[in-house]
Amino acid sequence: MNLTDMRTYAQEDVVDVVVVGTGAGGAPLLARLAERGLRVVALEAGPNFDPDSFSNDEVEAPRINWMSERLSGGGAPTAFGPNNSGWGVGGGTLHWGAFTPRPDIRDLHLFTEFGVGADWPVDHAELTRYIVDVERTIGVSGPTSYPWDPEREYLEPPVDRNAAADIMAIGCARLGIQTTDAPAAILSRDRDQPHHGRRRASQNLGTVHQGERYGTKATTAITYLPSAVAAGAEIRPESMVHGIERDVLGRISAVVYRQNGQERRQRCATLVLAGGGIETPRLLLNTGLANSSGLVGRNFLAHGAVQVWGRFDEQIRGYRGYPSALISEDLVRPDGVDFAGGYLLQSLGAMPLAYATSLVRGAGLWGTELIDALDAWRYGAGIGINGECLPAENNKLVLADEVDEWGIPRAVVTFTPGPNEQAIDEHATATMARILTAAGALETRIISRTAHTLGTCRMSADPGDGVVDGDGRSHDIPNLWISDNSTFPSALSANPCLTQMALSLRTADRMMR
Amino acid sequence: MTNHDCTIFFLPGLGFGAASATPFAAALGDRFRVIGIDLPGHGSAPDVVNGSVNALASAALTTIAAEADGGPWLLAAHSMGGKIAALVSARVLGGHEAVFGLAGAVLLAPSPPSPEPMEDDKRDLMLSWADNGPLSEVDACEFVAQNVAASLVTTAEQDAITQVRQMSPLAWRRWLNEGSREDISAAVGVIDLPVVVMAGEEDDNLGASVQPQLLGTVYPRARFVSLAATGHLLPYERPHEVAAEITTFWDETASASPQVSPEWGRVIASHRTGVEARALLVRRGIADDANYMPRALSPEQLATLRALADRLMPQPETHRIDLAARIDADLASGRGDGWRPSELPDDTSAYRLGLDAIVSVWTDGAALQDALIRRIIAGEFVTGAPWSGDVFRRWFEDVRNDLTRTWLAHPASLARIGYDGFATSGVGAEPAGYVSLGAGVRDPWEPTDLGALLSDTANRTGENHGGDDPGTPTATGQAGKETTA
Repeated sequence: MNLTDMRTYAQEDVVDVVVVGTGAGGAPLLARLAERGLRVVALEAGPNFDPDSFSNDEVEAPRINWMSERLSGGGAPTAFGPNNSGWGVGGGTLHWGAFTPRPDIRDLHLFTEFGVGADWPVDHAELTRYIVDVERTIGVSGPTSYPWDPEREYLEPPVDRNAAADIMAIGCARLGIQTTDAPAAILSRDRDQPHHGRRRASQNLGTVHQGERYGTKATTAITYLPSAVAAGAEIRPESMVHGIERDVLGRISAVVYRQNGQERRQRCATLVLAGGGIETPRLLLNTGLANSSGLVGRNFLAHGAVQVWGRFDEQIRGYRGYPSALISEDLVRPDGVDFAGGYLLQSLGAMPLAYATSLVRGAGLWGTELIDALDAWRYGAGIGINGECLPAENNKLVLADEVDEWGIPRAVVTFTPGPNEQAIDEHATATMARILTAAGALETRIISRTAHTLGTCRMSADPGDGVVDGDGRSHDIPNLWISDNSTFPSALSANPCLTQMALSLRTADRMMR
Repeated sequence: MTNHDCTIFFLPGLGFGAASATPFAAALGDRFRVIGIDLPGHGSAPDVVNGSVNALASAALTTIAAEADGGPWLLAAHSMGGKIAALVSARVLGGHEAVFGLAGAVLLAPSPPSPEPMEDDKRDLMLSWADNGPLSEVDACEFVAQNVAASLVTTAEQDAITQVRQMSPLAWRRWLNEGSREDISAAVGVIDLPVVVMAGEEDDNLGASVQPQLLGTVYPRARFVSLAATGHLLPYERPHEVAAEITTFWDETASASPQVSPEWGRVIASHRTGVEARALLVRRGIADDANYMPRALSPEQLATLRALADRLMPQPETHRIDLAARIDADLASGRGDGWRPSELPDDTSAYRLGLDAIVSVWTDGAALQDALIRRIIAGEFVTGAPWSGDVFRRWFEDVRNDLTRTWLAHPASLARIGYDGFATSGVGAEPAGYVSLGAGVRDPWEPTDLGALLSDTANRTGENHGGDDPGTPTATGQAGKETTA
């Protein structure tokens, strides 16, 4: 994005707010604070990309992903890298799938409903008002009549369905499962974005995860961040924060970061951490701050993201078009089950290398069986889920002995699905196989996956039960806030990014109270 | 559409036109389609704006792009053409040109990217020949005679002289004053391409003895062939040896990679594919170096990885990708995937340890090898392994994934499985993406094996893939939408 004429601040200035991270957690808040006249600086570890430099080649595309190694353990080690970690001005929104279901009210009250997991100290109606705000700002396409929320309105018509979406619609219809066009932050019509410029309507590119060059997919780099800069925010790319300084009262007084090989320090009155579910707890553990609860890095949540693929007679080639053009929320609370929560269904197209990795890691294939499965890829239509995940004692992030290129201990993330996650997984797998079979699949194949990195600095009403309060403010340090998906108390069946942007605006408003 | 194995684009030396390819082309026979190129001011080609090597390369590339069929091709080049070929190769490998399929280069007494070694008095003499227009018969005779080890047969000599006299004196002077003296080393860089360099032992300035030092760093994979009793005019002096070398080079080296069909090659070459995407596919499509020396692994570890690759990602006996070598290069470059199992050391160390463990239990015979692989994947402890069975399984999963992705990133693999999404990155495509999204159909620019054109299926779009199901009005609506798109 264009940063050439932005306002700049001196390091010795005590700016009102420093925001660490420019993705879905940092950017909306940055824009809102700047628009209200605050002197704000955002520090982004990655570079400021020209969208023309995005590559749709899957080997090279991870230039927009956090590729500094993370260590994964447990029964279902989280695959980082291209899967779920952003890098650059825009953060994770550079690579996100732009799938934007709204959170279901029942998911915010999981503990109340089931006696497990955690309730969100957030009012659903208030959150929804912020979500509507976000949807208008970034441009979200969706169906005018949304089956599970008839009053909902999408200002942009849905994007085109691809063959994988057609298949899922057919199979679901035959089983009596409701489906509709997926809400997506993908423009179906051209749009002039304030302070950015022309954004083009969808051209049915399937490479949304590799970085999108036409402004069709909403990223913070073409929405909130240009607004923030226009309102006087400064964004410093290639600035990796590794230290936090406090005054004699224990309040945050400055952040220390490395930019172009130089140690720098920015004084600030308030600090917002928005580095995501891995980098925020890593920084806090490394500095030892805000952890009186002992919960920094604890309760790591990963969405269940199992997929089932069916093979059909005709070429599906789901790499064409928006990959997840169909949704069903019918399974958010399935009947006759004994697990807590539920899951969303989405149709799936996949890029070739991502699919191949799934076949290797998620389906265990090798040799001629693998080659045969790759040869059949073009005939495959997939369905995937985003499933609830309960917090668990042993799913956590800790620091390794080994340090990264900035001298910061690497993150070690341990994740093992518990009985609830396994039950959701099994239910979803059976449901998706039935849908595909009903649609005429010749055979089906299960691919195990998880997605997203949540929960490692969760919010709580009780200071002993979380790292931040329901507004995002640290229970321990009054001028420290967290605005990213590390604060999620439970995973929700909705994909996190839209909710995160809404929470970001909400935290900004709370900060100005 | 084609019945040749490979196209050869020939860039002639100073003074010579496309016709100088005729002798070795005749010796090559039908397997190769030889396209000689009249460089600016040579043969029937007019002069161009200036005498820079870049202008000459641009002219050559215009012809190559126009004549390319999407299938594999070699650059062959003589003398001056060799310097131009270096820049042509660099531009093609950089993805900047609307071509695909460059598989290697055969260079005949090539002029190097650095200033061509030439004595001043020789240059002055040659310049003087063009003082008054085209070279005279006597001067052309002298030029040819100076550049051969022994007299050519009469017909060849007369043909050579005719071409030299036909060239524009401006092009002659430009090459001697500008092109030959230009240093294009930085623009050319290092060209990682199968290359064979042939040169005569009796060539004064560009002979066999100097070529390795002139070109060794430019073409790290170059093989140097020395021809006894040969001067500088290899296309005329040694057409049969040149043809034999081209044939061997193609059969044994340049064609070793899986072949991309011309139809798919044309999509990669087209304006729909962006510069970077094309560069990546062009480079990945080039045959691996049979003499590859590992940089991260030991030779024995590389051999073990190759043996594993044969079972985990089986390939035919011919037209193969050296997956192990490509992984070694990735390891050496430090490229990773952003994470690793917490019990494992860094990628390179893990590969070394894991492969050393495997070689100690590796046996001959596919069945036994597959049994070992199944045990590793099942998480059973492997004797001598540095890690527990579960950790060893996780390391092995990384290996399997690396092999799979390396195989799939090759353009022939992408074509094989039916992926043409790389062609949605070009600045010239409108729309950049797809219009036809339904099952069984494709857009007009897509390779024909990817489905039928919507226009050909107009009568069946309403009934395809079950879209007539009464419970799925949206699916039917989509089909109608596509028809009007």
